[in-house]
Amino acid sequence: MAKIEIDGKQVEIENGRTVIEAAHLAGIYIPHFCYHKKLSIAANCRMCLVQVEKAPKPLPACATPVTDGMKVFTASEQAVKAQKGVMEFLLINHPLDCPVCDKGGECELQDLAVGYGSSASRYQEEKRMVVPKEVGPLISTKEMSRCINCTRCVRFGQEIGGIMELGQAFRGEHAEIMSFVSNSVDSELSGNMIDLCPVGALTSKPFRFTARAWELSHRRSVSPHDSLGSNLTVQVKNNRVMRVLPAENEEINECWLSDKDRFSYEGLNSGERLTKPMIKQNGAWQEVEWQAALEYAAKGLRQIADGAGAEHIGALATPHSTLEELYLLQKLVRSVGSDNVDFRLRQSDFSADGKQAGAPWLGMPIAEINTRDRILLVGSFLRKDHPLLAHRARDAVKKGAQASIVHSADDDLLMNVANKAIVAPDAMANVLAQILKALAAEKQAVVEASVQSAEVGSAAAAIAKSLASGERVAVLLGNFAQQHPQAAQLQVLGQQIAALCGGKFGFLGEAANSVGGHLAKALPRANGMNAAAMLAAPRKAYILLNVEAELDTHNPQQALVAMKAADLVVALSAYKHQATDYADVLLPIAPFSETSGTFVNTEGRVQSFKGAIKPLGEARPGWKVLRVLGNLLNETGFEYDTSEAVRDEALSGVDVAAQLNNAVQGVALETAGAGSGSLQRVSDVPIYSADAIVRRAASLQNTRDAEAPCALMHGAELSRLGVHAGEQVKVSQGEGSAILVAAADDRLPQGVVRVAAGHAATAGLGAMFGAVTVEPITGGRA
Amino acid sequence: MEKITNFFKTFLLFELVKGMALTGRYFFARKITVQFPEEKTPQGFRFRGLHAQRRYASGEERCIGCKLCEAVCPALAINIETEEREDGTRRTTRYDIDLMKCIFCGFCEESCPVDAIVETRILEYHGEKRGDLYYTKPMLLAVGDKYEEQIAKDRAADAKYR
Amino acid sequence: MLSQDAIQKIDREIAKYPAEQKQSAVMAALAIAQMEKGWLSTETIEAVAGHLGMAPVAVYEVASFYNMYDLAPVGKVKITVCTNLPCALSGGVHAADYLKQKLGIGFNETTPDGRFTLKEGECMGACGDAPVLLVNNVRMCSFMQPEQIDRLLGECQ
Repeated sequence: MAKIEIDGKQVEIENGRTVIEAAHLAGIYIPHFCYHKKLSIAANCRMCLVQVEKAPKPLPACATPVTDGMKVFTASEQAVKAQKGVMEFLLINHPLDCPVCDKGGECELQDLAVGYGSSASRYQEEKRMVVPKEVGPLISTKEMSRCINCTRCVRFGQEIGGIMELGQAFRGEHAEIMSFVSNSVDSELSGNMIDLCPVGALTSKPFRFTARAWELSHRRSVSPHDSLGSNLTVQVKNNRVMRVLPAENEEINECWLSDKDRFSYEGLNSGERLTKPMIKQNGAWQEVEWQAALEYAAKGLRQIADGAGAEHIGALATPHSTLEELYLLQKLVRSVGSDNVDFRLRQSDFSADGKQAGAPWLGMPIAEINTRDRILLVGSFLRKDHPLLAHRARDAVKKGAQASIVHSADDDLLMNVANKAIVAPDAMANVLAQILKALAAEKQAVVEASVQSAEVGSAAAAIAKSLASGERVAVLLGNFAQQHPQAAQLQVLGQQIAALCGGKFGFLGEAANSVGGHLAKALPRANGMNAAAMLAAPRKAYILLNVEAELDTHNPQQALVAMKAADLVVALSAYKHQATDYADVLLPIAPFSETSGTFVNTEGRVQSFKGAIKPLGEARPGWKVLRVLGNLLNETGFEYDTSEAVRDEALSGVDVAAQLNNAVQGVALETAGAGSGSLQRVSDVPIYSADAIVRRAASLQNTRDAEAPCALMHGAELSRLGVHAGEQVKVSQGEGSAILVAAADDRLPQGVVRVAAGHAATAGLGAMFGAVTVEPITGGRA
Repeated sequence: MEKITNFFKTFLLFELVKGMALTGRYFFARKITVQFPEEKTPQGFRFRGLHAQRRYASGEERCIGCKLCEAVCPALAINIETEEREDGTRRTTRYDIDLMKCIFCGFCEESCPVDAIVETRILEYHGEKRGDLYYTKPMLLAVGDKYEEQIAKDRAADAKYR
Repeated sequence: MLSQDAIQKIDREIAKYPAEQKQSAVMAALAIAQMEKGWLSTETIEAVAGHLGMAPVAVYEVASFYNMYDLAPVGKVKITVCTNLPCALSGGVHAADYLKQKLGIGFNETTPDGRFTLKEGECMGACGDAPVLLVNNVRMCSFMQPEQIDRLLGECQ
């Protein structure tokens, strides 16, 4: 510990920290631009010059380590003179275009120029001009002339984003921030560079010029997309969401936000929003009043419950729905006598149902990921499914952790991966069994016979060795593993691996409310049908909550058949979507920005939020709609006044922490085969296709990550099929098929074809896993 | 003594004489009454009347949509919406001034970095029905186009004091 | 992209640094690549980046920072004139002007016959010898008054 004095205040801080950190600790502000608490120190803006006793010249506070007995003066004559001098230099080349600058009003340079700048410039010569470059649909660099070369964006790419996409080229006066030969910035965390930019050189393209900082009201909210539950500041003007910025929460999203959370708000203002209740009458859609629509839905449900039987009613919800919506949906369905309710739409293996000790969760607090020294990732497109968890894993690896992956695709995780086992989906369980066997051998433990039969390969042995040497191990199952047809097997194997090395075992939750769905009991109990069963054996009536049947389900083919065969489909949705083909009633409900609600993130943190704006048109919060539907069905217990009342009922007497449990009992391990050898499908849900809101966010849809899905195969697989990359192929699965462009990806295992799910182009296909056929289309060069 | 003067005032009509003297003075003084529609009082170049939006000589509108006038307006009479125009510049899609709210303080023209919003010398405008005095962007630009010569002259006269 | 020979040379440079600090060899690698290709195209930079496991833009930062790297094709003889302050005060600018007039080209231009390219350089550490020229990144010429420049150009013809 060093004791130093800053402006007469005594501060105690550990050695090795810098003067600026000590000052912030003491509540003293030192002006700065290039310094950022989460980034490395560059000390190139020189704004933080301070006077230090016995130092002949002012020193940069951000790069000066504290020493015991140091005396620092941040506002002495020498310090202020130095700071004013720096400010004058910074302003020499900075254009005086604050009135048209998007950063105007929230600009660090503007703010500090008020304190340290002089009212007129002494600089008469021409200012520097930078030719703008194009870097993609999210970030605008049109006003690069404003750049003060702090290099925060460059350091962000290197240190947080994991990929250096922007760099500072040329030198001296000609130095400029650019991407390599106008490459676009494709990182899924790129939006943070806009926040980091202390001036208006990097601005948000979707937000550009639409509002000024001072006219926006700030409302707190929670991200409805991935299971991290990032805290948001939703900025609102005239009852419209104008932009979304991160709200700092060190335990969840730190000060970052993924592009999905940041730019998805465009989907909230989409022209596809459903704004009036609609009923299909004689094949034509008619806009009706709420009363009529709700009565129609209630009557239809009542008829089916009384006629065919309540078990013919099924309810499906996306895990992006709020806790309140999910709770009321299951309450509604259960009160009419059915037990068919589920939110795990993309899951295909339900054999662990009823054997699960609690709600599957991360198995540890999110912040603990950074402290792991061994991470085994099983079946996860980590970067795309959980962009900020990927950042935490990257941070752990940077600190020396060894990451290993077992997966069916080898996408670049932007970190050093120590060991990889990339195999076809049906061989994944086998690989885990191999790891378990090898690990047991290392730890001298006994494993079941079914595991004993696995032949340990070199990759599995290496992974086991790495895990065995770790002290703080985490075994994490990603979305792919949860959607896998042998998900329960993977879970048991993963759990045993984690147990053997005394580590944590967890699930990277699929969506914002994957844990919340369990807490809300929105899944079948003993006699009910799960999502897959409800679609496999079509019901007479469906209630869909935020569901787009052909995009949100494990098997879109089956889902569409079931929907079309049903007598009554009540769709509660914020958007007018494909449901117009099969639904009978469309009820406009509010997305997260327009309703109060609660999400429970993957670490089990219950986060409630209020609506940021009023619902659009006649849309109403989902919980209110379900409540009134309950009233109209004459069911008791639907007398809620607020969403808080619903939440309190759902969570009353529930110890959330005790409910979180990944243990599964009574799932027998099968002897896992090494793979069938026939061509299998591997599907990811592309980052910008994962839920209804992002699918309609225009700018995100223009990014590289949202490009139309291809049929990706190993080069050898392509040549075996006689197809060249770039040619069109027909991918068939079950009854359906899709025409896609073939592409080579030699990092995929042979015997698989990777076709994205959740996208309109592949909605004609069947389940996300399983056998597919690929045939060339003669003369079909794209 | 006071009693005596009061006594004389009661019958000498002293107030009447005083009043008539005033009347007489104004009867011969220079008249200041203006016969309004025919005659007008002189105006300073800083007169703050009806608002106008100006253009550059090229025909390009000056306003860059910085919203400083909207922010500074104490009566909240200005309403602006902006977007990026095709050529990449920041432009208003809506620029409304509610003249019923406006208190003609002139802050808007003072805050404008490009001299786009100005207050002209026009004071004789009226509205016949509700909403007539809600001036939109085309109306303001039309005012500007019509009186640009006068506006430019007034700005030039004021320039050296700014 | 790069020849086997060049890659071998680059590997020799890489071997001088610890294995996890391959990127330390970036300057040498770029010099080798430029020697082979004549200049550094985006493809060449990408190839070097790939070989060193660096982001292409990081290599580009280096290549654009130093003016011995050429990001566009140059003539047979590249003349770099120092115009930094000490040189400028001692006739560097005049030398540059004389060269411009003599060759009929400006900075960063190449004569139509593809023989000469003129570049503006940063300090070469020989301020006492000003004006200083650098020919093809290796040959330093001091005290370059017009006569000496004429002689140099004659030699290079």
